[in-house]
Amino acid sequence: MSLMQTLRIGRLARSLEDLLRVPDHAFGYPLLRPEGLTEEAQEALLGLCPSGAFFREGRTFGLDLARCVGCGRCALARPEAVGEMKRLEVAVTRKEDLVQRVDLERGTFLDPGPPPPPRPELALPTLAFREVSAGDTGLADSEVALAGNPFNDMGRFGFSVVASPRHADALLVTGPVSRNMAEALRRTYEAVPEPKGVVAVGNEAISGGVFAGSPEVVGGVDRVVPVDVYVPGDPPRPGAILFGLLLLAGRVRQRLVGGVLR
Amino acid sequence: MDAVKEALREGRPVALFPDGEGVVLVAEVGRDVRVFHLGEGRRFPSLAAEFPAMDWWERALWERGYTPEGHPNPKPLRRHDLPFAFRAFKELHEVPVGPVHAGIIEPGHFRFSVLGERIVNLEIRLGYQHRGLLALLPGKGPEAALLLVERAGSEPLAHALAFAQAWEEALGRKAPPRAHALRRAALELERAFGHLGHLAGLFTDIGYAYGSTQVGRIRALLQGELDRLTGHRYGRNFLRVGGVWREGRPDLSALALYREELARLLPRLLKHPQVLDRMRYVGVVRRVEAEALGFVGPTARASGVARDLRQDDPAYLSFQPVVRQGGDVLARAQVYAEETLQALDYALHFLTHLPEGPLAQDLPPGDGEAMARVEAGRGEVFWFVRVAGGKVALAEGVDPSFKNWRALELAVRGEGLPDFPLCNKSFDLSYAGNDL
Ligand code: SF4
Repeated sequence: MSLMQTLRIGRLARSLEDLLRVPDHAFGYPLLRPEGLTEEAQEALLGLCPSGAFFREGRTFGLDLARCVGCGRCALARPEAVGEMKRLEVAVTRKEDLVQRVDLERGTFLDPGPPPPPRPELALPTLAFREVSAGDTGLADSEVALAGNPFNDMGRFGFSVVASPRHADALLVTGPVSRNMAEALRRTYEAVPEPKGVVAVGNEAISGGVFAGSPEVVGGVDRVVPVDVYVPGDPPRPGAILFGLLLLAGRVRQRLVGGVLR
Repeated sequence: MDAVKEALREGRPVALFPDGEGVVLVAEVGRDVRVFHLGEGRRFPSLAAEFPAMDWWERALWERGYTPEGHPNPKPLRRHDLPFAFRAFKELHEVPVGPVHAGIIEPGHFRFSVLGERIVNLEIRLGYQHRGLLALLPGKGPEAALLLVERAGSEPLAHALAFAQAWEEALGRKAPPRAHALRRAALELERAFGHLGHLAGLFTDIGYAYGSTQVGRIRALLQGELDRLTGHRYGRNFLRVGGVWREGRPDLSALALYREELARLLPRLLKHPQVLDRMRYVGVVRRVEAEALGFVGPTARASGVARDLRQDDPAYLSFQPVVRQGGDVLARAQVYAEETLQALDYALHFLTHLPEGPLAQDLPPGDGEAMARVEAGRGEVFWFVRVAGGKVALAEGVDPSFKNWRALELAVRGEGLPDFPLCNKSFDLSYAGNDL
């Protein structure tokens, strides 16, 4: 009976192409539309975003994907000024690439130049990860766990999650790093043998997210240990996490440059 | 004071939080809520010696600068910059575990005192997830506040719902009927999703791969429907004060199908000899303990306490709480299994009986205060909010995990050390929810 049922259900793993798409019913990541950024639209966006992801600095208007919680209200209220990116290839190796900046004079995106290449010493056929939750609410952790389920199947890429940092090639860190976890994170990092990498999973791990500014958090993994790959999202879907791991392993090209998919 | 003691003797604490120089105690007696104002000048009489359920509450206030006078052993709960000593047993061996664990799980520290392989005592030390969430709330408007509230524990919908209801009640408003039904449908899907996670984890921990894969498969599909309904895989950014933001279209026939499949699968899995062998009579929490320490949710119901906040909600027609008497890991697993089916039934009911009307009403910035409770997957979520000029003046929340962590301390007493992960998974509590 059970075997029959298993056979009937068949193959579950979805293709990578499938995993990297945001489903139709959900909002992906916002994308500024330079041509629609009138003075009035800018004001409206600054006022309506619950997480304060929009900012204005002199003659540039920007959007920080590492702060955006993905509610989609900006694109709904101001479709002329904000569009949507429906892809999960958003992991980056440098933080500037998570920020969209529009030069308001010219009406174009600023380009921060080509991102640094991934580290060659981590381009291994298999990578073992140790997950450290450092102040995460449990949902980014849950997405990391689900990246290993039969649908997402991180094992097919040679990735696995191991129990000890001494068996790991890299750390996956979630959460804004609560003060009470900073020391444990540092020591876990030290226990990983060289060469080692770190992936910061989720907005809170990148910049503190909604906890940025709380005296009880450090406000980002890279303030405690060096970070190689940042995966934005709140929490990032498993596809985005897998893309981040592939980026760490040097098997995909970074597509998000200056906050825009290129 | 006598009235307070009587309430705690017959009921249990729901919340204890500071308000100005005094302290507010909320207690539930039967199905009634009673509110007491205790102490002044940041001092209040300790009740922990007589009512052990008050111990953690008072410690949580103690570290926030409110003195429980006469507390037998005040020590920090979440703060790590204050001195902390574990209970010492001279003749016993100590096994420290955590804060970083072997699995993909939040951090916490467990100190076992063992005699050979037997656990004599467990002391839990948390606070690693403390992010100062409550202190960030004052001054925030409803939307910015909800962002934080949705991060108060791993059940964002339940927290957001309790907070939004408290806010609405503070202003004397109600969400429109359609929003009310959609909120409840999402809450029930969250419950089913969470419970299946607990079950899949339990099967993993006893090495029953077939069980965990099957349950995990349906759980992943169910999450897809929660995603369709709310636009988020965990239901964030869905609720707002005054209603809901959006209304997605979950696939109702798929939901019915998953329910069917689970109804066939779960009872069979829970009768498997391997499951019975590993889960029965392990990690027992007795009813007297559950009542004395004020446990809530499935933890209490698996120990024979027939209380579920949905009993008080007229939207749940003919609601019957799922209760088991065993108090062991198996009883908790049975409660999860049965409540999953029940939750899916109600979700389908709400989604097929959606009243017509708007999704939200805009609330004017006003003043007021109110509290609200919601039965989340893990038990009672509590939020109190005082609104002044449309902004939070004071907000306090309690995740059910805070009330249930000590159930784990009791459950593992006398068990072998290797049974700890299984016992822990049977409660599957939120660390962040405790540490706020
Ligand atoms: S999607 Fe929401 S959080 Fe993100 S930028 Fe737009 S309004 Fe802000």
